[in-house]
Amino acid sequence: MASGKALGDLERDIMRRLWDAAGPLTVRQVHEQLSAERDLAYTTVMTVLDRLAKKGVVNQQKADRAYRYAPAQTREEMTAALMLDALSAAPDDVRDAALAHFVGRIDPSALSAAIEAANHRS
Amino acid sequence: MTALLLGALGLTLSLVVPGVLASARWPGRAPVAAIVLWQSITLAGILCALGVVLAAPQELIDESGPGRPYGVTALLAALVVAMVIIVRLLVSLAGVTHRSRTRRARHRLLVDLLDTAERHGELPAGLRVLDGPLPFAYCLPGRRPRVVLSEGVLQVLDAEQVAAVIAHEQAHLRYRHDLVMESFTAFYRAVPRPLRSRAPLDAVHLLLEMAADDAARSRTGAPALRSALERLGDAVSPDAPAELDAATATAERRRRLDRLTGPDTRSGTLTVVAATMAVCLLVLPTVILVVPWLDRALTAWPL
Repeated sequence: MASGKALGDLERDIMRRLWDAAGPLTVRQVHEQLSAERDLAYTTVMTVLDRLAKKGVVNQQKADRAYRYAPAQTREEMTAALMLDALSAAPDDVRDAALAHFVGRIDPSALSAAIEAANHRS
Repeated sequence: MTALLLGALGLTLSLVVPGVLASARWPGRAPVAAIVLWQSITLAGILCALGVVLAAPQELIDESGPGRPYGVTALLAALVVAMVIIVRLLVSLAGVTHRSRTRRARHRLLVDLLDTAERHGELPAGLRVLDGPLPFAYCLPGRRPRVVLSEGVLQVLDAEQVAAVIAHEQAHLRYRHDLVMESFTAFYRAVPRPLRSRAPLDAVHLLLEMAADDAARSRTGAPALRSALERLGDAVSPDAPAELDAATATAERRRRLDRLTGPDTRSGTLTVVAATMAVCLLVLPTVILVVPWLDRALTAWPL
């Protein structure tokens, strides 16, 4: 299996293909798209998609005896959720130790409004 | 007498001192030493609590005359209570650490998947960029740390300001500020509700930001960091005022900005004084109160 960094890059590239696709893709379709740019084993793509499904980032559907994969959230939804997680405090209102912030604490409701307004403007 | 003195010291350290230190202005002039002092105060408070628990039964029995059977029971009870205090602290620390790790691992996975850094070619390695115009920056501590910027930050800040922001976040990561914050959070959660105080948590958080500011300032200069902080703060302050949390955040930002304006107010003398106080707080009670008591107790205790 590839090294940690290469694996991270591969996971990211696979997610991009899934996000850009019109609908769910099979392992073969993802493999075909990626192997246009690089030398890649079919089983590697399968393993990575399986891992991403286990982590809940992609959904796995069985259709016509083949698994098809689709992102669990759109890119925009996932980015917004990540921003909220990064910028809002821990659920129990204890100053959160998980992430060190540059911008300080923000009220989550004001934050989601800000994200929405910002996305609207762009 | 030992138990009474330790109790008085412990109560002073947990009820009076945090308020005084939290509202003092000098820690801003020696943030790292002030953090060490906060750690020392907290640790000394814990040691006082343990000291009271262990010393009180023995001293009460001494007062009321010799009673060996009671002595054994009292000693065992004291040891059990002391164990409960220690276990509670350790469980709380394990819980906070575990939750932070889990949350960070998930967050890191998503950040890596959503990263668009290669579209902004000139950035240093190890940096992650998220789409979206809302400007913010933060770091993700741990064994595989990340500095995360939003695309919005790259739009509103110039290269020098971005470098200052990155230096600030890297300081958080390099000096493992997350571990400091985790230990204070764990302590906060372990203390029974009526005795809890947010003062150390909030004060240490601000001091850690100041320490990271100082690290960034020494690399990129105060003006770049100051202007970056001003812009980022404005970009994300919630519209609605009168929010207590928002007010605290604004006050904190004000203090950080003030430190970065005008001449450098950091003081080596204050650093030495605060560090000395931190050491004395741990050493003096032990030498003056605990060692003589141990001396007496070991000869008098029934075990």
